[in-house]
Amino acid sequence: MPRVKCEDLCPEWPCEQPEEFKNVWVYGEIEPGRGIREPSLQMLTPARKIAEKLEGKVVGLLIGHQVTAYADDFIKYGADEVLVVDDERLKEYYPDVYGHVIVQLSLKYKPEVILLAATMRGRELGPYVANTLRAGITADCTDFDVDEKTRDVLLIRPPFAAIMLAYIRTPFRRPQIGTARPNVFPLPPRDESRRGEVILEKVDIPKPRTRLLKRIRIEKREVPIEKAEVIVSGGKGLGSPEGFKLLQRLADMLGGVIAGSRKAVDAGWIPPERQVGQTGRSVKPILYIAVGISGAAQHMIGVREAGRIVAINTDPDAPIVRQADYSIIGDYREIVPAIIEELEELKRKGPKAIEELLK
Amino acid sequence: MAGYRVVVGIKWVPNTQAVRFDPKTGTLIRQGVPAIINPQDLHAIEMALRLRDAYGGEVIVITMAPPPAVQGLEHAIGMGADRAILVTDRSFAGADTLATSYVLARAINKVEREIGRVDLAVFGQETIDSSTAHIGAQVASWLGWPYIYYVKQASLSNGSLRVVRQLEDVIEEYEAKLPAVISVLAKALRPRHVSLLNKLRARTERPIITWTNKDLGLDTRCVGLKGSPTIVAKVTYLPEVPRLKKVHKAENPREAARWLLKNLLSDEKTRDLIARALWGEGSA
Ligand SMILES: Cc1cc2nc3c(=O)[nH]c(=O)nc-3n(C[C@H](O)[C@H](O)[C@H](O)COP(=O)(O)OP(=O)(O)OC[C@H]3O[C@@H](n4cnc5c(N)ncnc54)[C@H](O)[C@@H]3O)c2cc1C
Ligand SMILES: Nc1ncnc2c1ncn2[C@@H]1O[C@H](COP(=O)(O)O)[C@@H](O)[C@H]1O
Repeated sequence: MPRVKCEDLCPEWPCEQPEEFKNVWVYGEIEPGRGIREPSLQMLTPARKIAEKLEGKVVGLLIGHQVTAYADDFIKYGADEVLVVDDERLKEYYPDVYGHVIVQLSLKYKPEVILLAATMRGRELGPYVANTLRAGITADCTDFDVDEKTRDVLLIRPPFAAIMLAYIRTPFRRPQIGTARPNVFPLPPRDESRRGEVILEKVDIPKPRTRLLKRIRIEKREVPIEKAEVIVSGGKGLGSPEGFKLLQRLADMLGGVIAGSRKAVDAGWIPPERQVGQTGRSVKPILYIAVGISGAAQHMIGVREAGRIVAINTDPDAPIVRQADYSIIGDYREIVPAIIEELEELKRKGPKAIEELLK
Repeated sequence: MAGYRVVVGIKWVPNTQAVRFDPKTGTLIRQGVPAIINPQDLHAIEMALRLRDAYGGEVIVITMAPPPAVQGLEHAIGMGADRAILVTDRSFAGADTLATSYVLARAINKVEREIGRVDLAVFGQETIDSSTAHIGAQVASWLGWPYIYYVKQASLSNGSLRVVRQLEDVIEEYEAKLPAVISVLAKALRPRHVSLLNKLRARTERPIITWTNKDLGLDTRCVGLKGSPTIVAKVTYLPEVPRLKKVHKAENPREAARWLLKNLLSDEKTRDLIARALWGEGSA
């Protein structure tokens, strides 16, 4: 008996059986003139895990103009195959135009799963593709699994309050579409010896109905917080933007960067791209120092993978104290300068000072 | 009607900031959690009102939700929206974003049939309770309209839309043919407050209408849980990450600092890191 009974389905949806679909696709977002953006390559990590369980292939998807050359990168990072639509009319990215290209490819090849990086562009493109295919989509997944009996992918994401995980499945529709935020998954190792097939496709390209008039790059020279080994993070408890100047000095001493809680971002003390947490970034530093941060679940979900967490807080009952490795109960205005002074002293004395300190 | 007709989608959400975790029972305390208009949607309303104030026309605020969401619509009227539509039906319950966007798109079609041409549909960047940012793109897909996300400035002229939008790495300017869909960049504007006069209007003129599925006539297989390709199979609590939980009450800041550094320098996870930061590569 077929799993999907057509008479039960919304007539707006095509009636297809899940068995008609195979392989796991990863959409490769292009940085014009540079290559595939890293968040897209990171999606090869969960794609491989899913493909192994489904015994399918990992297929990279490249759309744009003069992008065929990037197919090799997709393969070296782990794709088995790359589907390319390389056309002058795709020079500019418009989500509905690119969306229709992906839709047509999907109708032809019937992928079982499509993964996109939840960059701002990915978040705008994914739901358009999913909806046009009348397929489901799950945003900001933090993990994926497969129910091997039904071949349903479990798309796992934190809903509502960050302390819970929802397991979402799409039993009657394929492809199963999911996104994940940058740096939730690691970049797979690059393997120069990998070989794979590159398939050049031609599809109908609709005329764009929006027109790009102007583009200004925002140059960013700072280390993104997701890549930092040390993060000194400030919250509402800093009381003022000046507090971050102090944190910056500590971060400089430790070779790290500064970040903040949402309240610090909302107060305008630190820019949004430095927000840690559910609606900010997930970080995995070796050392995370949380200063004047209470430790709300939505914040702490962003530091689950930190090596060690240090909390500096005036309140011994702040939730962060129960979730940190080392907590100092005190006013940061006294504690942070003291740490800086101690570090300076250690620095002056040289490595042998460690033994003295540890005595 | 001269000017432009702008529809704004809003969501009435539990104020998740107010949800607390009960560490004793390990569950969420949702009781008594007040509902609010999704904060980003206030920016969407503000954008629509500014366009109306500049070019004329009307702003219609719409939500698909159970009846209590009418409070959100009243708030929008209080801000200055001209009318509001509550789209509500038992059969819409349990909708995922695809089924929600389907109902919203069909409701916009009904506005076009019964009220008049819609020029622009405006959405917030994302909601605080599900934060998917799906709805705008999905509505655009159902309606077959062009769409632009993350808009922070918009203007209208001669049947076309001009916007400035901002992404992680670029600021872009676009032009689009109307009708179109946009989503408004988080915190792009300063949403206006509710005015007493407008609030009074909400009470007296009752510019809020309710549409159920009797009015929309949608196939029940396309709405609510049945019209949702995604289902929540289960919900679990995240396992707690084991942490050392060492606590030092600082009597004296220098001594507290030494306590911390002692710990970090005898901790194999952080020892090398600190040594490298202080004395450079190879010092560890
Ligand atoms: C859907 C949703 C998503 C969210 N996403 C995020 C997110 O991504 N990231 C995020 O951070 N938050 C997020 N939040 C908000 C989160 O719930 C908290 O409100 C927020 O993290 C609190 O920020 P805070 O710790 O800086 O401020 P507060 O909770 O106000 O804590 C301030 C702390 O500073 C301490 N303090 C005060 N003075 C001093 C002093 N002199 N020295 C030392 N300590 C001091 C206080 O004891 C207190 O513990 C989200 C919320 C929702 C509903
Ligand atoms: N039930 C709804 N009714 C009307 N508009 C909605 C609804 N849900 C979401 N929206 C709109 O869609 C935007 C994105 O929501 P989401 O996809 O849930 O993040 C919100 O900011 C609202 O503008």
